[in-house]
Amino acid sequence: MSAVAERQGTEQQGTEKQAAERRRRRLPGVGTVVVTTVLLALSVLFLYPFVWLVSASFKPRGEVFDNRLIPRTPTFENYINVWQEAPMLLWLGNTVLVTVLAAVAVTISSSMVAWGFAYYRFPGRNALFALVLGSMMLPGAVTMIPVFLIWNSLGQVDTLTPLWAGNLFGSAFYIFLLRQFFLGLPRELFDAAKVDGAGHWTMFTRIALPLCKPALIVTLLFEFQATWTDLMRPLIYLRDSANFTVPRGLKALLDRYGFGGEWHWEIIVTASVITTLPMIILFFVGQRHFVEGIATTGSKG
Amino acid sequence: MMRTSGAAAVVATLALGACATGQTQAPEGGTDFAEETASGVLSIMGFGLDDEIGQVRYDLAEEAVPEVDVQLTEGGLDMQQFLSSVAAGEEPGLIRVDRTQVGTLASRGAIMPLTDCVETEEVDTSVFVESALSQVTFDGEVYGIPEFNTVQLTMANQELLDEAGLSVEDVNGSDREAVAEANEQLHESEGGSIEVIGYDSKLPEFLPLWAKAGGADLLSEDGRTAQLDDPAVLEALEWAVGIYDAQGGFGEVKAFRDSADFFGSGNQFASGTLGAMPMEQWYVNVLNEVSPDAPMAFDTVRDGDGEPLAYASGSAWAIPSGSDNPVGACRFAAEMVRTESWMAAAQERVRLREEDGLQFTGLLTGNAEADERIRKELVTPSGEGPWDAAVEALYEANEHTFALPANPADAEFKQAWMDAVNRVLNGQQEPAEALEQAQEEAQEALDEAWSTWDEQEG
Amino acid sequence: MASQTQDPALTRLADPTVADTDRSRRRRQQHYRWRELRPALLFLSPWLVGFTVFTAWPVLYSGYLSLTDYDVLTDAQWIGLDNYERMLEDPKVRLSLWNTVVYTVIQVPAYVAVSLGLALLLNRAKRASGFFRTVFFLPNMTPPVATGVLLLLLFNGQNGLVNTVLGWVGIEGPNWTTDPDWIKPGLVMMSLLSVGGSVIILLAALRNVPQELHDAARVDGAGSWRRTWHVTVPMISGALFFVFIVNTIAALQSFTEAYTAFFGVGNTTYSNDAALFYVIHLFRQAFESLNMGYASAMAWVLFVVIMVITAIQVTVSRRFVFYEGDQR
Repeated sequence: MSAVAERQGTEQQGTEKQAAERRRRRLPGVGTVVVTTVLLALSVLFLYPFVWLVSASFKPRGEVFDNRLIPRTPTFENYINVWQEAPMLLWLGNTVLVTVLAAVAVTISSSMVAWGFAYYRFPGRNALFALVLGSMMLPGAVTMIPVFLIWNSLGQVDTLTPLWAGNLFGSAFYIFLLRQFFLGLPRELFDAAKVDGAGHWTMFTRIALPLCKPALIVTLLFEFQATWTDLMRPLIYLRDSANFTVPRGLKALLDRYGFGGEWHWEIIVTASVITTLPMIILFFVGQRHFVEGIATTGSKG
Repeated sequence: MMRTSGAAAVVATLALGACATGQTQAPEGGTDFAEETASGVLSIMGFGLDDEIGQVRYDLAEEAVPEVDVQLTEGGLDMQQFLSSVAAGEEPGLIRVDRTQVGTLASRGAIMPLTDCVETEEVDTSVFVESALSQVTFDGEVYGIPEFNTVQLTMANQELLDEAGLSVEDVNGSDREAVAEANEQLHESEGGSIEVIGYDSKLPEFLPLWAKAGGADLLSEDGRTAQLDDPAVLEALEWAVGIYDAQGGFGEVKAFRDSADFFGSGNQFASGTLGAMPMEQWYVNVLNEVSPDAPMAFDTVRDGDGEPLAYASGSAWAIPSGSDNPVGACRFAAEMVRTESWMAAAQERVRLREEDGLQFTGLLTGNAEADERIRKELVTPSGEGPWDAAVEALYEANEHTFALPANPADAEFKQAWMDAVNRVLNGQQEPAEALEQAQEEAQEALDEAWSTWDEQEG
Repeated sequence: MASQTQDPALTRLADPTVADTDRSRRRRQQHYRWRELRPALLFLSPWLVGFTVFTAWPVLYSGYLSLTDYDVLTDAQWIGLDNYERMLEDPKVRLSLWNTVVYTVIQVPAYVAVSLGLALLLNRAKRASGFFRTVFFLPNMTPPVATGVLLLLLFNGQNGLVNTVLGWVGIEGPNWTTDPDWIKPGLVMMSLLSVGGSVIILLAALRNVPQELHDAARVDGAGSWRRTWHVTVPMISGALFFVFIVNTIAALQSFTEAYTAFFGVGNTTYSNDAALFYVIHLFRQAFESLNMGYASAMAWVLFVVIMVITAIQVTVSRRFVFYEGDQR
């Protein structure tokens, strides 16, 4: 935090809320300019890999790694090639389907479970929660085969089901995350609702969920990203290339054109860009919502 | 109830499934490949329709099994994928693996011996490149059908050689002293950072090549005894490490090498930042495509007597023991590597290369007969530049390949010597000490794996 | 937020000792309620089912496997505790465990600090904040295949961008990708590019801090820095705690970045001891050497190690984490 911000703070001594409110809506002050500048500088760092990728996708094979951000001989051919080489639309369709189901399923189930852990005080709660944490600690390499056996016995190998249906049961990471947010809600809210005769389900859906909307959006976006980029499960469960998700298809392309193949990296980077774009758009649209947190839940209660 | 093991289930399904599919099972679970027609479903893993070479042969193989519904899972074979399917008793009917994995899979009974298959399909195993065949022959039986072969060539920058008054003979490995001297002459650095790599001995991965050039095999012919502590191996390692030490250490060279635009028009040869190195033959194609005017010089890698030498690697087709369609698998695989199939694929490649105005730089199939025919009928010298020399060298190297014999602990064996080389390169250990440690680790792994196999065989 | 919650909250914040005794008293008074068990179990039911099928069974199964010699391809042979004994003698287990611990000790504090810093900055950003939030999450969205290759280029010791920038300010950068002493710091720096997720969690928490608290603190004459430290950070301690625990677990299981950069397919050129993390060693044992039984034993040991570390963290954090709803 800068001295500028400091000064800005002390300057505004002794006002009441309205003044603070006004100041927050005013044109950017010096502090904001400093913050924005710092953010811009940092953005360059975070943007660079993706910008590099995008620019490489417009380069012919011989120039992919030449480290210029502006392609010397820009070409759109890679995109045409990828589109011709691979059933991208089909793969994108599969991925969207799986990802939406996975994200919605995990958000609903994890928020229920998290609420169960956050609000109720029942015997054995801490022990059970320790188990939740514990399930995060197992390296996937080891549970992989037993889990595969389960899906196989259910006859779900080479379908899209194993890629998302596990999320119907909640996931430790999100249960933990949402529990932290639910714990932050003042209990008075619920005591008051109880007095008004609200049931358990009503308290959860009408009070807890709306108040924690930002965290729910975060969960949705995270799982969307995780499932969208997941390679391991599609690799193990999918056989027929008509069922491939984009990352699984990308692996097939990589075997073909990357390591051990023909080293056509321009195809790989282009497919990577195509994979990433839908997620960026979704994220950009979705991120506004976890900002509205307090603004919408304001102190009207 | 919990299953004790997936493999038990596999055995059970096999026993039951045998009657259902009507396969006549030989007493020890062998398959009668002489059955008239292959039918049913054939699922394939570990192969991708990468290019015309794959596609043309795949189409031919599919035609060879008209009654069979071929289902291909595209992409290289991933062990996690394969093991999961084995555990669930849902193995693919046919797999394509790296040849180094054949010994391990065979020793654990995961793939079946192909002696009968090869006989029935009249595959003449003598047409395969000898070293490729040795990689898929485990304990006297053939377990895989070789496909493709990869060899190394010496690639050098003629311009840099000329400036230093050297020729490609000085850097082809036949005279280690000469290579070391050439390295000193070609190497250039400015204020601690490298400008030109003189010679790149490609450690750790090419240690087997340098050992062999000095007359040593890392592994005995029967695949049972590690020979990493052989003095000739030590000598080779010391020399190859010395090449890096003379240029400021491996870390520096490696970092500089990694920063090169390897597949682009600014590659090490085009930009004059590398004197010479041994490199796999596919790189010839890359260079020809992205920097056709690079001042290249090619030769094979040579041993102390000046004889060509290359370390062979490649893929192989294998049939999982739990394959539900061994007959179809066998027929399909045999068709993939038939000389005629290779010819058809190569013709298609020549046609496509001509369309793009590029030279056809040969193809190493792992099938020596096909190699020869392709070379005779399809390779036409362009008469320009160094590329003809590259094609010459590539075929010459292909006739002088060696490989480590199939063994049941290949991954551990490879890890042992690679780790040893890395410890030396990092300056953690002296070469002799590192190799002694590797010898112990490797031998332990080999003994353990072989004893399991020997017990089974009784 | 109901206004009546602010005052006690503020008093507690202003005087941490009060908060502490307050809370420990509440904890002492906390008693379980049997009648809450039924509704709780209803809410927990999805997880209870899933845990039994997809976690408990696989865990027990791999526990059983850890006592066998198993390669998936042939029947498991019961060998008792041999795998665990072998681990004690395996120099690579020691090496990889050491690597992992060192990496975790460097990475987690750096990661949490960077995500908190970015979240605080973003929280103050007015214009284009959506753009910034997306940018910081961008590296998480790019396929690891591509980023792996790219990071090796960026961190190249000879002419990577990182060292080029360092060169501008007169620092001669090390060989991040080839010098054993610098590989782990290099990997830590690479991992910092993926802080996006934690930044978002912290930001969501920051947005939940009532503005009134800030205003009240401002009235008390607290400067911006002090307000952040004494008001904001305690208010998001729940989320910070989450980020800290989850990242410790993740760091101890580090795999992807180092594997793609130094051990992956086609990366025959250099497998560096310094980047051999525990889970990489485990993975190679399982899928390269086919020692599934041994790998299961390694997994169980890791499981126990992480359990112990997490338990310690949870215990220590009780002192620092403050929940608004923690009135028990």
